[in-house]
Amino acid sequence: MTVSTKRSLAAQVLIQALLCLELLAMSATSEDLFVRHFADQLRVIAPRLHFISGKSLQRLHDGVIVPFDFQLSISAGTKTNLVSRSVERFSISYDVWEEKFRVVRLRDFRKSAAGLSAVAAEVWCLENLLVPSAGLPADKELWARLDVRSAEPKESMPASTDSGISIPALIQAWSRPPRPQQDHWTLESASFHLADLKQQ
Amino acid sequence: MVSRLHPPAAMKLVLIPLLAVAGLFGQNGESADSGAGELNVNSRYTVESVDVANTHRYRLSTAILDEMHRLIGAHLNDDAVKRLASRIRGELRAHEVTFRLLRGGNPESVKLLFEVEKGQGDFDVSIPTFAYNSREGGSGAGAVTGRFGANSVTFAGLSNGDSLAERYSGIQAKYQRLSLGSDRISLGFEFDAYHEQYNQNTLTAIQNGSDSSSLGAGAYRSRMNFEPSATFVLAKPLTLTIGFSFEQLQPQLSAAPSESANAVINTLRYRERWIDSDDTNQELDAGYTLRAATRSLGSDLAYTRHAVSVRYMLVHDHQSLELALVAGLIYGKAPLFERFVLGDNTTLRGWDKYDLDPLGGNRMVHGSVTYGYRIVRVFYDTGAVWEQGTAPEAKRSAGVGIASGLGLFQKGAVLLAVAFPIKPGRVEPVFIAGMNF
Repeated sequence: MTVSTKRSLAAQVLIQALLCLELLAMSATSEDLFVRHFADQLRVIAPRLHFISGKSLQRLHDGVIVPFDFQLSISAGTKTNLVSRSVERFSISYDVWEEKFRVVRLRDFRKSAAGLSAVAAEVWCLENLLVPSAGLPADKELWARLDVRSAEPKESMPASTDSGISIPALIQAWSRPPRPQQDHWTLESASFHLADLKQQ
Repeated sequence: MVSRLHPPAAMKLVLIPLLAVAGLFGQNGESADSGAGELNVNSRYTVESVDVANTHRYRLSTAILDEMHRLIGAHLNDDAVKRLASRIRGELRAHEVTFRLLRGGNPESVKLLFEVEKGQGDFDVSIPTFAYNSREGGSGAGAVTGRFGANSVTFAGLSNGDSLAERYSGIQAKYQRLSLGSDRISLGFEFDAYHEQYNQNTLTAIQNGSDSSSLGAGAYRSRMNFEPSATFVLAKPLTLTIGFSFEQLQPQLSAAPSESANAVINTLRYRERWIDSDDTNQELDAGYTLRAATRSLGSDLAYTRHAVSVRYMLVHDHQSLELALVAGLIYGKAPLFERFVLGDNTTLRGWDKYDLDPLGGNRMVHGSVTYGYRIVRVFYDTGAVWEQGTAPEAKRSAGVGIASGLGLFQKGAVLLAVAFPIKPGRVEPVFIAGMNF
């Protein structure tokens, strides 16, 4: 076997391995977001999503507030037919003495939780990201999609006011793609029917 | 926030008003958690200290320092900290200014540390000094500085008729490597080229042979200087600068040979400020400089020049007190530019330096006290400049003025003052105006 043949084989193996990994990642994506029916609301669970990490975690450890923007979208019939969505901004800070996180939902300052671990803070954010189930088509296939991104430090303050956050500003933030310096995550659920979801 | 949409094409048009209306009419009755007012959980802690990382690299204005000062002793205010970071960024023309919270000395306090990121490169056009003296005329400098990572290049043009016995005008070019492997070491290479002008009193004194025993060279029409140096941070904020100064003096008569004054230079400097929690701000800048010109460096002139300067400032509320002491002595025959002068814009203000000693002296001591209340300044200067072997004669002066600020580390301070020599007989006041001198 010549050297060039060996290299060609190695390249093919590498490409196949990458394809396998990509397929695995895609399937994992659909397994990473689970939809739950809670009273008249839909909420999601994402056990593998850890957005309090990397640069954001470093900034939090430095005592800086890090806001995160969330968007939960529900599509019906086809994945492109958006029928409902919810947007929220959560502001997270880290107590440098107690080494615990605090989360405030900026839409209304009254909603907050403190003394949380990183995982608990992430879960709290998802628990407070809700889409009403009323009006969702019961006879069609549904998909949920969760988008999370760290808000840009410069835009985090103008969007929020003393009484909460400006909703149009938040929507505007979601109307453009994430900037390179923003961490962002996208997760999609497998298709589901409203009737199949157990009430919790 | 929730919206219901069916036609995707109309999504954006419908979504915004729906979301806004829903936002106005409240939410889904989730349990409220009162007391969420401050976003940053650390806002319950008291700020113990405020500092800027690598502060020796930056000069912040008094206004910024005051704002830093006001944060101390209060609970952390995230908005105030962000506003201050933005102001520092603007003043230093930095790419970004971030901050970190560190645990304080006790569990209820935090330390606030700003970090400045200068970016890949930036240019700064500045007027480092500008001054007008009704007796001496104007002095000033304009500089362009470019910073590229840890490298800084400065080109300046200046004309100074204030600090020496001669007026020197020309250019300065300086390259600095701000860190060399470590932030504790920096390198500098400076080139200066000046043209000299003399007061008639100075020329007459040279022609008469005054101070001929200690004056190293006569009047020269130009001088060039090349000065490589290295600065070491011994123990922050104590620094030691070691280098060489190769000065070439061109005599006024073009046929005469040039003379050189090549010296080893050493400067030990301590510069620190303390911002206390009870509205008290202290600054200290002390330095000792030794310039030793020796024939082993190919110098035509051999001399040793020692200079000490100490400045201390105390600011409390709207009051300030500044004490300044400078002293120096020269052994050997030093050229005019090395000799000590009093009676300029900062020493013995109100006196004419050419009346005191048109050639300067090889001994000097000077002290100054400035009291300030808000923008008003009152100052008193005393000092003497003399020749070795003669008796010093102390002179005094006083003055009053207004200033936009006071302090060693401020930027953009403007002073307008009237100064009077304290002496018997007729007194002519001197008007002084300028910034950063």
